[in-house]
Amino acid sequence: MSEKSAEKALRIIKNYDGPRVRIMEVCGTHTHENFRLGVRQLLPEAVDLISGPGCPVCVTPADYIDEAVWLAREKGVTVCTFGDLVRVPGSRMSLAEARAEGGKVRIVYSPDDACSYAKDHPEEEVVFLSVGFETTTPGACLSLVRASRDGVTNYSLLTANKTMPQAYRALKGSADAFLYPGHVNAITGTGVCRELVKEGISGVVAGFTANELVTAFALCLAMLQKGEPFFVNAYPRVVREEGSPEGMRLIDQWMEACDTEWRGLGVIPGSGLKLRKEAEAYDARIKYEIPRMEARTHTACRCGEVLQGRCRPSDCPLFGKGCTPLHPVGACMVSGEGACSAYYQYGM
Amino acid sequence: MCVGLPARVMNLKNGRAVVDASGARKEISAELLEDLEPGDYVMVHAGVAIARIRGNDQDQMDDLIDDLL
Amino acid sequence: MQENKRKAVTLAHGGGGRQTNELIHEIFKKYFDNPDLTADDAAVLSMDEGRIAMSTDGFIVSPAEFPGGDIGKLSICGTVNDLACMGARPMYLTCAFVIEEGFPMEKLDRIAASMARTAEEAGVRIVAGDTKVAGRGQVDGVFITTTGIGRIPEGVETSGTKARPGDVVIVTGDVGRHGCTILLAREDFGIDADVTSDCAPLSGAVEAMLSATPDIHVIRDATRGGVGTVLYEIAEQSGVGVNIDAASLPVDQSVRGVCGLLGLEPLYLACEGRLVVIAPKDRADDLLQVLRQGKYTADAAVIGEITEDMPGRVTMTTEIGSKTLLPPPGGELLPRIC
Repeated sequence: MSEKSAEKALRIIKNYDGPRVRIMEVCGTHTHENFRLGVRQLLPEAVDLISGPGCPVCVTPADYIDEAVWLAREKGVTVCTFGDLVRVPGSRMSLAEARAEGGKVRIVYSPDDACSYAKDHPEEEVVFLSVGFETTTPGACLSLVRASRDGVTNYSLLTANKTMPQAYRALKGSADAFLYPGHVNAITGTGVCRELVKEGISGVVAGFTANELVTAFALCLAMLQKGEPFFVNAYPRVVREEGSPEGMRLIDQWMEACDTEWRGLGVIPGSGLKLRKEAEAYDARIKYEIPRMEARTHTACRCGEVLQGRCRPSDCPLFGKGCTPLHPVGACMVSGEGACSAYYQYGM
Repeated sequence: MCVGLPARVMNLKNGRAVVDASGARKEISAELLEDLEPGDYVMVHAGVAIARIRGNDQDQMDDLIDDLL
Repeated sequence: MQENKRKAVTLAHGGGGRQTNELIHEIFKKYFDNPDLTADDAAVLSMDEGRIAMSTDGFIVSPAEFPGGDIGKLSICGTVNDLACMGARPMYLTCAFVIEEGFPMEKLDRIAASMARTAEEAGVRIVAGDTKVAGRGQVDGVFITTTGIGRIPEGVETSGTKARPGDVVIVTGDVGRHGCTILLAREDFGIDADVTSDCAPLSGAVEAMLSATPDIHVIRDATRGGVGTVLYEIAEQSGVGVNIDAASLPVDQSVRGVCGLLGLEPLYLACEGRLVVIAPKDRADDLLQVLRQGKYTADAAVIGEITEDMPGRVTMTTEIGSKTLLPPPGGELLPRIC
């Protein structure tokens, strides 16, 4: 029985004979798993799989890194961060380089761990680099709930949190269907996807196992052949219609929408989150009066086009030459999940 | 963007849960989910249980693909 | 006064005078004593004719003691295993300590005892040593460097350049346990799991394999960088491709769990008691048979084969049957969260 549905799904994928289509994954973990599993090999020639802007590391602009480096070097702040951000190049240096110079950069598993560290080290000033989409943001908010409850005053966030809905709209023309990021939808629910269908934007909410990805691609191709805008939740064991109301409430309690820059894509109005005025005691930008950073980026880098599926990583003149995972120039090479890094590492 | 790992809830106290992900144990926040009980499976992302998991990916695939054809 | 002095290593212990002597006698000589251990400036040893292998390795690990081992055991295993990878039977080791001022004497005692136990098990003698004490903060606890020599039997010729298309790739046990153990022992991530280091001397395993067949092309000790890095090195050195079957790779369940939480690849976590063995396909059964009887190699498995195509690359056959490239090794292992 189960073996059969896997075969059916693979048959749907292999036998796709519709028009040329572009499917965009907008989740770094999808990019990663699709490469790890060799999913591209299964897709027929008429299907382009584009790695869109799904990794918060990739879309975080250089001036954000500059701010974090400034905190570590000029203010002696202990910067707590997810591992992915450590090698991201800023205008002058990465956090790894700031650490080598003596800056305190601590890799944490979660914002909660960063808050614990602050609580245990009252003599240090601790800032958590709060990046991420709707999946990650509630955790950052929970760390503030805890900081305020436990009176942890040496803890704050440097926010670069982002939300996906406006990004789908901005990328509407770049893909025929999105592989929606399952864990974002676990928080937001699926209402937003239904809204997008009305605007002519199609997609399938996908999980992350081999079965789930194969299912999602099969559904996507079957629906694309019908030619109508569509939405399917192919990850119902985790993603519910209503998402996580508590997660959304927490985000709304602590943060509000703002315009924000996506590395490579520019400013997308209303796609960012910043701390509300009432929470400014936890806003590192206010607390440490961080000056405005003017980021410099490499002119030859084509990350922006890669993120929009307008070119492949290998089309960029820097790819594999001036820009490699060990010495990244562009955002897409920085994170293991970045499209360029994944292409480079998996030799595609 | 979001590495998630399924884990089993071992015990719960004051909105915190100790979960077991294939033998790796970690205390995480369970504040996003209501009525969790030990033995439930949750999806863990960056120290937070973001969703309850119902069923496995194989059955889910069977249902979805059967519906499609 | 006398009691206090004994509790921690002081700069005076590295001064070369009476206290240095005391340290040597009370700890190192106590454990390392054997007929070849020199009291002079150098050990004088007799060797048979033939080829010898020689290797040196420095050890830094934080914490110095961890589940399944400590820096002492590690420092013996590391050099013993490097020698064994050339098919050599390890014979003599030297060791040099750099100890941080204030290092607990009791801990140093445990580390030396562990070195002696491991050396005895590996059948190797410690013949010379050196002790330096560095000021507080100049080293992290204790650093140990070991150098060893061993004799290579007739007819044995292993080298990273000798992998040939059609050969099988064997690992001698589950991968990534040492790296995972250290990661957990540092307590940076608040994750708890029942994982112990695979740290072990493997000279016995190599000897057993060579007695089953001398026709082994490559033996590599998968330490820092893990099995993935070793496979890439072999692919490069031999100018061949390596294809591994993802499903046949032995990984401890808890190691998998930790890797899942932190977004790490077990193939790139360090091992300290795992060999990658490459041999002609028709020797695989004989090798597996002896390995599975070994104390540290019971879970040995064939994980893949050497190919002609994709030279210099390591590919994986995935759970859905397609082929993908194992990401090449790079940089510091960073937990991947988002």
